[in-house]
Amino acid sequence: MNDVILTMKGIDKSFPGVHALDHVDFEVRKGEVHALMGENGAGKSTLMGVLTGIFSKDAGTITYEGKEVYYASPREAQTAGIVIVHQELNMMGHLTVAQNIFIGREWKKGPLIDDARMNEEARKLFALLKIDINPRETMSRLTVGKQQMCEIAKAISHEAKIIIFDEPTAALTDTEIEQLFNIIRDLRQKQYGIVYISHRMDEIKQITDRVTVMRDGQKVGTLITSECTKDDIVHMMVGRVIYEEPKTHSRVPADAPVVLKAEHLYAGRMVQDVSFELRKGEILGFSGLMGAGRTDTARALFGADPRESGDVYVEGKKVNIRSPQDAVREGIGYLSEDRKRFGVVLEKTVAQNSTLASLRHYVKYLGMIDRAAERKVSQEMVKALKTKTPSVDQLVMDLSGGNQQKVVVGKWLISKSKILIFDEPTRGIDVGAKQEIYELMNRLVKEGKSIIMISSEMQEILRMSDRIVVMCEGKKTAEFDIAEATQEKIMSAATREIAV
Amino acid sequence: MKFALQRFKNLRFVKLIGFNRVVLIAIIFLMYGFFTILTPILRNGSSFVNYNRILSALNYAYFIGFLGLGVTFVIATGGIDFSIGPVMFCSALISGYCLTKFNMPLWLCLFVSVAVGAVFGSIGGYFVAFRHLPSFITSLALMQVAKGVGSIFTKTQSVTWPSGSSAASWYRDLVKWNGIPVGFFIFIAIAALCAVLLYRTTAGRYMLSLGSNKEAVRLSGVDTRRWEMLAYVMSGTMAGVAAIFYVGAYTTVQPGLGDTFNNEAIAACVMGGTSMAGGSASILGTVIGAIIVALMQEGILAMGFTISYQYVLTGLIVLGAVTADIISRKRKN
Amino acid sequence: MDRLRNHPLIKKLGVQRLVITGVLVILFVFFTLMSPSFRKYTTIITMTSYMYYIMLMAIGVTFPLITGGVDLSIGTGLVCYSIVGSYLMRQMGLPIWVAMLVTVGMGVFFGFFNGIIIAKLNLPPFITTLCTMMIVRGLGSILTQSMTGVWPMAGQEGSWFRDLLKYKINGTIYPVGLVIIIILVIIMSMVLNHTRVGRYIIAIGSNKEALKLSGVNVVRWHVMAYVFSGFFAGLAAIAYAGTFTSITPGTGAGFELDAIGGAIIGGTAMTGGSGSIVGTFLGVILISLLKTGLPYIGLQANWQQIITGSIIITAVTIDMIRRRK
Repeated sequence: MNDVILTMKGIDKSFPGVHALDHVDFEVRKGEVHALMGENGAGKSTLMGVLTGIFSKDAGTITYEGKEVYYASPREAQTAGIVIVHQELNMMGHLTVAQNIFIGREWKKGPLIDDARMNEEARKLFALLKIDINPRETMSRLTVGKQQMCEIAKAISHEAKIIIFDEPTAALTDTEIEQLFNIIRDLRQKQYGIVYISHRMDEIKQITDRVTVMRDGQKVGTLITSECTKDDIVHMMVGRVIYEEPKTHSRVPADAPVVLKAEHLYAGRMVQDVSFELRKGEILGFSGLMGAGRTDTARALFGADPRESGDVYVEGKKVNIRSPQDAVREGIGYLSEDRKRFGVVLEKTVAQNSTLASLRHYVKYLGMIDRAAERKVSQEMVKALKTKTPSVDQLVMDLSGGNQQKVVVGKWLISKSKILIFDEPTRGIDVGAKQEIYELMNRLVKEGKSIIMISSEMQEILRMSDRIVVMCEGKKTAEFDIAEATQEKIMSAATREIAV
Repeated sequence: MKFALQRFKNLRFVKLIGFNRVVLIAIIFLMYGFFTILTPILRNGSSFVNYNRILSALNYAYFIGFLGLGVTFVIATGGIDFSIGPVMFCSALISGYCLTKFNMPLWLCLFVSVAVGAVFGSIGGYFVAFRHLPSFITSLALMQVAKGVGSIFTKTQSVTWPSGSSAASWYRDLVKWNGIPVGFFIFIAIAALCAVLLYRTTAGRYMLSLGSNKEAVRLSGVDTRRWEMLAYVMSGTMAGVAAIFYVGAYTTVQPGLGDTFNNEAIAACVMGGTSMAGGSASILGTVIGAIIVALMQEGILAMGFTISYQYVLTGLIVLGAVTADIISRKRKN
Repeated sequence: MDRLRNHPLIKKLGVQRLVITGVLVILFVFFTLMSPSFRKYTTIITMTSYMYYIMLMAIGVTFPLITGGVDLSIGTGLVCYSIVGSYLMRQMGLPIWVAMLVTVGMGVFFGFFNGIIIAKLNLPPFITTLCTMMIVRGLGSILTQSMTGVWPMAGQEGSWFRDLLKYKINGTIYPVGLVIIIILVIIMSMVLNHTRVGRYIIAIGSNKEALKLSGVNVVRWHVMAYVFSGFFAGLAAIAYAGTFTSITPGTGAGFELDAIGGAIIGGTAMTGGSGSIVGTFLGVILISLLKTGLPYIGLQANWQQIITGSIIITAVTIDMIRRRK
């Protein structure tokens, strides 16, 4: 066995309301590719954040090359040789490849930058990595895959010893993935320590030596990749006891009418031929991992992003939704996963937010807002949803996450939406408020609304949905009735093997 | 002391118009006192306290105020309009030319003035809202266009509206009638209308909301482009109204000018508490701000300084007000 | 078309710059054909004289534009610096080189002032430089008691600075200023593309956060962009004094738009991250050619303003559409 280069022991980290890391151990050896797996929110990113100085740890030790270390910023970690290749690339698109790689540490020839040397050094780096990229090419002209390879080259030029790949293949084509793997194998040969975060099971099998699985902030275990099966890993990822009762059967009568039907939706790379039906009084769960294209599907359906093709039927009638206005007119409401950016207007009051989607119904004459009616309806909504706010004149900014969410729900109820799309309805909401949101959703369907719920939380999906659609890489990969759905089945469909 | 301040802040009147506005009103009186004391000292016995000075300050306050009211809408949506000053002059030139050279009826010319402003506002609004151009560069470009159009229309000559008290100059009664500052009442009335539009109507609600979070408003099913454009139309229209009050007070307009008034109008807005970040605006603040700008100008001239001091002070005031706004926003988050 | 676009020579020059050059040639031919009086050597002299100060401002303002900002203070700034310089010579009897130093120095100072406020306090560039525009506009008049600025005339002591722009030999005038401009374009092109300050200014406009993460002192280089702009406004002040005999205090508003327009036509994007000094050079020539040429075909001088305005809106719209793709 190779030498251990990095040991993390008993790492503990809490955020307000969340125990993100619960005494986690993790180690990396020279010349190994170590996979880090787990559902969204299992604590992988936090662990890597603690390692690279993005977060400070509450307890535990990090030993790197035999010495106990602590990094206050990503820059310090980088100088020491620990580098993350991010999913979102930190590139300056207008500069050339070589200029990007050596930004901040250019060689100089007199007063001028020695670009020739930079290009030469970059060329050497690429030769070392066996990559074919022209150092003089403008960064924005490269494909995402090539840009990522530049990031790797940059990491290596920083004399990194540990390289962390955070879902590196999410945006790559098959040939690019193959290239990336060749590079990673090469790096392994050269005794780099590599951490590989991914959801793609087949990749884990292909490229990694060991796999550590995390769940709910804890380490579940470490396996030798060659000695375990995909089922072992899936089982470790989801093998949690579900405290709340999962739904066992659908509560929707078999003859409930279809209120929304989407056929062959296409919108960019993340929505590829998605079709589904939503029935009256149903909660249709959309499961899948981060970046599976669920939000993209919802936004395309809602008219927030342009749709390339596909038909949408509301209550059997074909509709042409080209903007959010059209969707709202058809009685569809969308509750974004990023509430603060897309859901509420923080600097406005509860009442003003409540009527934002239906203001034209609260007009007396000449476009004058009937403020009494506006206050009345939002007060009723506050009461009905049990929103905790001193008054409807409170700024939404001052409410908690759960109550902000209720304001958004209220907005769509006031606009008399029949179909509600909840995108990660409980993200950033504490446990007690979560329960309330769930009860609220159940009440809504009982009252005849229909809900599409996008969620990355397995428990949430199993507990709330009547039917489950699973998406992976922009495609619908499975559909289950709640009676037949299991964690394993869903996870398997969400991490579908992709032909490499 | 702190307790007294808190109690003052809680007074109903203070709460109604906002503590900052109360401070601004106090500043008006302080400035007035300041000029009253300093003018005789600096200018050997000449006095600042004089009814005509108040009228003259008001003359300045009207058109700056109208420009300020208009641009308040644009700033509320998170944009800026640098074209208002030259557009005001362009309106005054074209309508004045219609009046003096084409002998069009006066009422029609006043209408033309407002319409010219509205057209410029619509063009700017279209490019900003529908074509997503940055508002500052669009309005700067329109500023040039307005200057050019004004000059070309009048063949680069200044236009003098009829003066005196003949029947042909009844428009001057809108500003001052028998020594009564009628303009002030009209100004307040139009400001009140603007306040109603901004705070009480759907249009105003949408403009203010999209200034804070455009995407959230769009995702609520609102056609944000339309309302964003409307803000620029308001700005242009008010520039057309400002033109009437400018000629009502000064009668003569020269082509190729007007850009200094942009800054003073914007100064009136930001002083009054309208945030450059968008989303919050105060019509009352703009009204008070315009009066402060006008009083400052009157005082500076009365004390024997040139208008240049006004330019420098306006620049510093805007910088100060915007910095204060940014710092207070940072503290809130 | 694609093959043409990938030709090494065209790639080196850039499509946009080639298009502008083409437009320049066409316009020139057009004016020559339309107006006999345009076809004179003196026309070229007039055009270049009117061009110098715009060109200098434009070279400078390209830097803030590349960072994604703007500098509106250069127009009234150059008038202010210029009349202060003249005041030093005429009222205080200082030698011309001191006046020139102070003129440029003031530009650098206000550039620095803008830069600090924008980079350090994070105020929006357009509102910051608008305020500076007001401040320098008033300051020029205050410092000189509103006296018209006059720099040494031909034959007077110190008039040698005019020879830097126009040199007379045997009655023929040579636009030597053009040589200085071309040298400056080459130098600033080098600064933009081959020095650290240029590299970081481009990077700020491209992705400021990424640059920060690379451990670069962003504030410092961001300020430098505005210092460049101020410095060149100072140089433009001297060029302006060399072209015009008297300078009225409080004017200059709108000059900056000719300069910004030139830079935008030359391919500098309002969104930051890309721009070229050579492009700016060509863009300003285009604007100057229009300014000089239009009166010859019977359009009043005021059409220039409309045309400048329309060109800016068109150029930015085209840039927006191209970026959407």
